[in-house]
Amino acid sequence: MEDIKPGQQIPSVTKSVTQDTINQFENCGILDRQNIHNNPELAQQRLGTTYPIASGRMSVAFAAESLRRFFGPEVFNHTGSVNLKFLRPVKGGDTITVTGEVASQEQTDAGAEVTVNVFCENQNGDRTAVGIGTAVIK
Amino acid sequence: MPDPEVKIFDYDKIEIGEELGSYEYTLTQEMLDNFRLSIDDPDAVFPTLAVKHDATAFAMVYDDQTGGVNAGNEVEFFNPPIPGKKIHVTGRIADKYMRRDKPYMVIEATAVDEDGRLLEKLRTYQMKKPDEVGKKWHPPAGAQ
Repeated sequence: MEDIKPGQQIPSVTKSVTQDTINQFENCGILDRQNIHNNPELAQQRLGTTYPIASGRMSVAFAAESLRRFFGPEVFNHTGSVNLKFLRPVKGGDTITVTGEVASQEQTDAGAEVTVNVFCENQNGDRTAVGIGTAVIK
Repeated sequence: MPDPEVKIFDYDKIEIGEELGSYEYTLTQEMLDNFRLSIDDPDAVFPTLAVKHDATAFAMVYDDQTGGVNAGNEVEFFNPPIPGKKIHVTGRIADKYMRRDKPYMVIEATAVDEDGRLLEKLRTYQMKKPDEVGKKWHPPAGAQ
């Protein structure tokens, strides 16, 4: 993987988030839970917002897709990681775009560990999450 | 009414390193399909993200009427889970701390399948004062 260089862009992905997709994500769990993501009253009571917010884990999944496309599933699905800090709420009606660029590559016992800076932005250009993704290339 | 087995959550009483126990479930093809639809990614292989292993472990132990907001997530992927296989999850409270006068709790979970394959390690940084979100991002009229 000599081809990977600092500054190299990873494939961006853009996702339309709707209350339906938020609800569907929440329905994937094994507990039947009302929460701030799928219950507007609970969101208002706990957050003080007039709308539910998307789970940050949806953004983790979006970032994972972008990183998987860059590293390839055989690498990313077995050695990958995503570490995101959430900056702004994401809600139904938002469009989230994940971008990223290679920050560094370091040789380890397991192989070359590549670190990518990852950014999530909404349709207004505001960052909703930042962080890093990594994978080890053997 | 909360399940009598479930404890009422009190931030001051939780302890760093506290075990949240373990649970098992069977991953179904339907769960995987629904996850892929929810994130519009037909090649996604970790529906475990939406199962929220750490938060589920926490919810099985604590009744938390305050709730929280995810400030961050760290996830490591080791092997994609296979539909039809049982997944065994163990959870713990990894840390708690104050930052800018707000209480944070860190929960984590590790998932292995019935064959002993390590699937995923997940860590969530939860801010346990969720009304701060509304104050910052959805302030009442005149408060901006």
